[in-house]
Amino acid sequence: MAAAKNMASALSLLRSQPSHYVVASVVGRRYLLAQGDVLTLPRLKDVRVGDTIALDNVHELGSRDYTLRGDPLIPPNTVNVRATVIEHTKGALETVVKFKRRKGYKLTIHNKQTYTKLRIAAIDIARPPIQQFA
Amino acid sequence: MSRPILRASLKALPSNGSAFFIPQIRKLVFEYCEHQRGSALVRLFLVKQIEQLAHENPHVEFVVKQRNNKRPIVRGLYMNDRDKVIELTSLEPPSIMQKVQLLLDSSGAPIKPLKTAVMSSTPATRGIWSGLHVQETFKI
Repeated sequence: MAAAKNMASALSLLRSQPSHYVVASVVGRRYLLAQGDVLTLPRLKDVRVGDTIALDNVHELGSRDYTLRGDPLIPPNTVNVRATVIEHTKGALETVVKFKRRKGYKLTIHNKQTYTKLRIAAIDIARPPIQQFA
Repeated sequence: MSRPILRASLKALPSNGSAFFIPQIRKLVFEYCEHQRGSALVRLFLVKQIEQLAHENPHVEFVVKQRNNKRPIVRGLYMNDRDKVIELTSLEPPSIMQKVQLLLDSSGAPIKPLKTAVMSSTPATRGIWSGLHVQETFKI
């Protein structure tokens, strides 16, 4: 049962609550994110450390008592989710040994996976435009 | 009788990037030898590229240090009092640039195996379910 009749009242109900979460698709994967979380992704090649990214594909915006769910995405400009690129790193060294017995085949692979870390800076719910009275 | 609130639990958790972003690298120290062959390409890099690099990264202090009869290294020092050291013996200038960029992009945090993609210290937004606080008390 819908708690609100239209988008504006739904957003005002959500805004009345103190904390929010979003379910957003980032690089093809869905994550449940709140403000202040650190999200580790495969290395993003076209961003620099310190850049701000907007997460566009939001499936769900929720608070303690209310949830706004999209089909499959909630309309754009409803919520503004900003993330800051805080780091480009590599993971711990992983060693993979491939071996076949009696064939003289032994292969050692050393891998350090490259990652990018994002900090979810803000989840801002859109406000309706201020009515201008002539 | 409620538990007393401990003073240490009221401190603010680190959250770089939430309101503002502060780059975590503060200093890059290049150490090279004046005579040895292994440092020749590092010397070339220092003559040609380091000034441009320093201009592009005004938040970092660049230090060039002569250390004879030792291998050339670059050391990045970070805000968490840790440092990362990379050896540059016989590396070509593009490879040296790659290693320097690795230090500039890092936060100095220790490298650990990745367990979950999202690391969160926020309490659950929807609250934690309790069997005593529902209409019909949950019976095991």
